[in-house]
Amino acid sequence: MIGIGNCGRSDDGLGWAFVETIEKGGDFPGDTLLRYQLQVEDADLISQYDQVIFVDAYQGGLEDGYTFKKCLAAKDFSFTTHRLPPETVLYLCQELYQKNPNAYMLLIDGEKWELEIRLSELGQKNLQKALNFFEEEIIFKAAVLK
Amino acid sequence: MSKKIAIDVVTRVEGHGKVTIHLDEKGAVKDAFFHIVEFRGFERFIQGHPYWEAPLLVQRLCGICPVSHHLAAAKAIDQIVGLDPGDLSTVADKLRRLLHYGQVFQSHALHFFYLASPDLLFGLDAPPEKRNVVAVAMADKELARKGILMRKFGQEIIKAIAGKRIHGIAAVPGGVHKTFFPYERDYFLEDNDTPDVDTMIKWSLEMVQFIKAYHEKNRVWLDTFASYPSGHLGLVTDDGGLELYDGKMRAIDSVGNTRLNDIHNDEYINYFQEGVERWSYMKFPYLKKLGMKEGWNRVGPLARLNVCDYISTPLANKELQEFKSYWNGKPNNSTMHSHWARLIETLHCAELMKDLLIDESILGNDLLREGVRRPEGIGIIEAPRGTLIHHYKVDDKGMITKCNLIVSTTHNNEAMNRAVRWVAKNVLDKQPEITEGMLNQVEIAIRAFDPCLSCATHAIGKMPLKVSVFDHQDKLLHERIKSS
Repeated sequence: MIGIGNCGRSDDGLGWAFVETIEKGGDFPGDTLLRYQLQVEDADLISQYDQVIFVDAYQGGLEDGYTFKKCLAAKDFSFTTHRLPPETVLYLCQELYQKNPNAYMLLIDGEKWELEIRLSELGQKNLQKALNFFEEEIIFKAAVLK
Repeated sequence: MSKKIAIDVVTRVEGHGKVTIHLDEKGAVKDAFFHIVEFRGFERFIQGHPYWEAPLLVQRLCGICPVSHHLAAAKAIDQIVGLDPGDLSTVADKLRRLLHYGQVFQSHALHFFYLASPDLLFGLDAPPEKRNVVAVAMADKELARKGILMRKFGQEIIKAIAGKRIHGIAAVPGGVHKTFFPYERDYFLEDNDTPDVDTMIKWSLEMVQFIKAYHEKNRVWLDTFASYPSGHLGLVTDDGGLELYDGKMRAIDSVGNTRLNDIHNDEYINYFQEGVERWSYMKFPYLKKLGMKEGWNRVGPLARLNVCDYISTPLANKELQEFKSYWNGKPNNSTMHSHWARLIETLHCAELMKDLLIDESILGNDLLREGVRRPEGIGIIEAPRGTLIHHYKVDDKGMITKCNLIVSTTHNNEAMNRAVRWVAKNVLDKQPEITEGMLNQVEIAIRAFDPCLSCATHAIGKMPLKVSVFDHQDKLLHERIKSS
């Protein structure tokens, strides 16, 4: 599970906050890490896993406050060292390493993006919704199925 | 009718800047500027903080070269606690150096593979959608995989010593805070998910061969593009060798005459001054005795290889001698040879990392030294992009009262402006139509310097970069904008 964002920019820290909370919960069986932004070398990293979840903040409004969806590989040529979408990392992983991990994106809706080490009220609310969903629908069900 | 061209955002560089090109009524280039439009603030807001916070705070200037800021500040703060570089324990000195070489290695790999290689592989007129690392990865998968793993190797070195790949902590006043354990060291001496250090040396050498072969095929372009005479500045050892962590400052002019004769770090203030221009937030450092017009220098890989006499590691030194022999031992003023120089330094860093990794004494636990407090400290280091100066003054309570940062890209400010003017005059001048490929050449010239504009202005925040062409009435004719 890769949390993407920057906790120094208010709701841009939603991805990190989610991953940190999941880590503390102790029920998540996988590896976790935090990134300011994805880089090309993350294609090498995810090629070593069967499953990967990218968790990031979302700007623009989501009906449920969050969304969990399949990440589909996509060629994107808008690379800068400050932005590389998960879809492109997955694409590079397939092309360079011939690996195709099951990839998902969990996007959490935020509203404030300025310099501040604190989530907005809406961000906190949506974080909680995403956590509830993930713990009930993903971790719990995975444990039951196991 | 005169015109002005603005390239607003310059891509594949670190930071936010724009280029404006002014044309006269006949379409001839009147002038060209590389503007840095980020706001600087670090030097000011660090005031009032305790001195020991400096190495932690200043690395937030940048996500690409935080280690360089961390170490330059640490060297300055060592002096505030009464220690000169030679006073540190051998273990601390070696660990800091290993961290630094890992940083230069990964930064150079990032620049060559991710930022510069599209220009070299796809040419000046390649369509914009092809000019990026994703396209490079598709065109040459082997090159891409090596680039990824070389960068990863450097980052793993940083993580092993500083705890994190970005914004970790290794240096503390008077030394380092953590022992380097055998299992951490062994990771780099064995093949695992990252190839071993010998592979890094082998691949680095392959990259030098790659750029030499590329040069053979593209000699005229690499020799002449954005080429102009300049001064060169860098650190050297006592006997003139290339030095990246701690050395004396040496500057030469475009034909090799000495401009600054191996001065000690503490003396920099007597020799350097920073000028300003109303059209840029980035300052213009220069040698006082020569004035702002004549006293500017290039810094970075090309300058460093020009000022040094030799390199301490054998493979890189062999390449240096070949590099120097190309211009018969005279300073190399070909801007595009910066890529060649950068890859020789990459090889040097790989060799240096190996030397340190197989040195058993680096695993020691003699980490800290103490001294008698001083009111002032100056730390100078060769960051990947060039000479980096950190200067702090503190009060009796240890609070920072003054901070002056002269970063590598700032030294290169005038040099980058000259490169932009060269392209404007030689490529855009009197052209009936300004094409996308022509504007890209402005960016290629800037990119050779691997500028980090966020560092140079000490900015925080988003970093999009912007090139525009305006007529004599300031009417916009062409523009390129990309957000980051």
